Amino acid sequence: MNKKGVEFSFTWLFAMIVGMTILFLAIYAVTRITQTENTVIDASTAKQIGILLNPLETGFESAKTTSLILPKETRIYNKCDNRTEPFGRQVISLSQKSFNKWTDTDIDVGFSNKYIFSEGFVEGKKFYVFSKPFEFPFKISDVIYITSADKKYCFDDAPEDIRDELSSLGQENIYLENCPEESAKVCFSGGCDIKVDYSSRYVQKFNEKMYFADDSMMYAAIFSEPEIYECQLKRLMKRGESLIELYNGKADIVSAKGCDSGVKNELSVLGSMISDVKNSENINTAVVETVEDIKNKNSVSLCKLW
Amino acid sequence: MQTLVGEKMKNKKAQLKIQQMAFMLMAITLFFALVGMFFLTLQVSRIRESASSLEEKNALLLVTKLANSPEFSCGNSFGTMGTSCVDSDKVMALKNNIGKYKNFWGASSIEIRKIYPLSQSVECTSSSYPNCNLIKITDEEITSEYSNFVSLCRKEFSDGETYDKCELARLMVGYNG
Repeated sequence: MNKKGVEFSFTWLFAMIVGMTILFLAIYAVTRITQTENTVIDASTAKQIGILLNPLETGFESAKTTSLILPKETRIYNKCDNRTEPFGRQVISLSQKSFNKWTDTDIDVGFSNKYIFSEGFVEGKKFYVFSKPFEFPFKISDVIYITSADKKYCFDDAPEDIRDELSSLGQENIYLENCPEESAKVCFSGGCDIKVDYSSRYVQKFNEKMYFADDSMMYAAIFSEPEIYECQLKRLMKRGESLIELYNGKADIVSAKGCDSGVKNELSVLGSMISDVKNSENINTAVVETVEDIKNKNSVSLCKLW
Repeated sequence: MQTLVGEKMKNKKAQLKIQQMAFMLMAITLFFALVGMFFLTLQVSRIRESASSLEEKNALLLVTKLANSPEFSCGNSFGTMGTSCVDSDKVMALKNNIGKYKNFWGASSIEIRKIYPLSQSVECTSSSYPNCNLIKITDEEITSEYSNFVSLCRKEFSDGETYDKCELARLMVGYNG
């Protein structure tokens, strides 16, 4: 009987098995290292974005804008956490396109003192970052709006002061006339994608109403998702409550020097109103009137608190 | 008999070859493991370096931002609004409520030191304020510090009148990297 076959010595078999194991481990290690490297890049870019937003929160301009250009197609995820005590957290995470696939976003970078309003994620290579102070009645923080350069907004029927402010920003993805067809229409009269009712102070988007107290929060509602808007508003209210405590403390210090601010009681009233704000719907006329009243009293006081 | 001895010799040679191969493979695995560990150490130190440089950058920008944040800034309290003006009355109120603000700005220590007029260092407390020149807002161990010149303003009372008093100070932000 003639048995034809290849003879494999044990040495060969052993070498092949171990060789394959080593090769497999090497491929696995390279894949893991690439993934880790991508995660590191994502996390450090997210942190850098957060740090680069610092200059936007400095100064007294009514609104300012800047652009952010990233080397790769990027998704900036905006997550808001209002559960972490005492002021909640702004969380940013990044995902970049690598070999036509989005990298995983498991590293979150958090900031307690930032308030970013945007869609759940913004995608592109170029982003516009625009900031404006939120005063309620004192400045609570500068709020930041992030939009992708690829997403266009049309404000062709906005009131004159809004048009002036937006045109002074010179943000290329905001159109005041000759709006491109694909742009998201923001209308102040009639109905469209994003409807702004300026007199009733609400923005309607995705069939949800987001109530605002001033222009800074109106822009916030226009540029962000309702869920993010409500969450950031709650965080801002928490900071507002804490600032009221500071201003009450300051009022005591200056009144001991014989200078009465005259708004301490009103601030306490506002404090209890703010603590009752569970969502934007609670920012009603009574709250806005109290804010306006305090603002006016403080501006004419001899001992201004802010 | 001769065949048996030959077979035994062949077996021994094969065993030796397997042993040789096993040692070689172990050496290669060990080599790769060492290279991997070296690479990992490099990677970790690079990440640490980048984290520390980001912290540093943050502290550098924070020191400018802090003076204008609502917890510190003068706003319109002392006439027209100006940059880098710190309201010391408000900061003292902040010092008394600092519990909430721990880790809020991401800095390990925040201090404001009056630099003019020169005087002996006296820490500001509720009892020593305003006759003091150092306000320690948060005070943790630090490795680096950045500072910025600010005007430190407060309300003063003299001869039945209240007036604004501003002094030159340094706002110092420290971080532990």
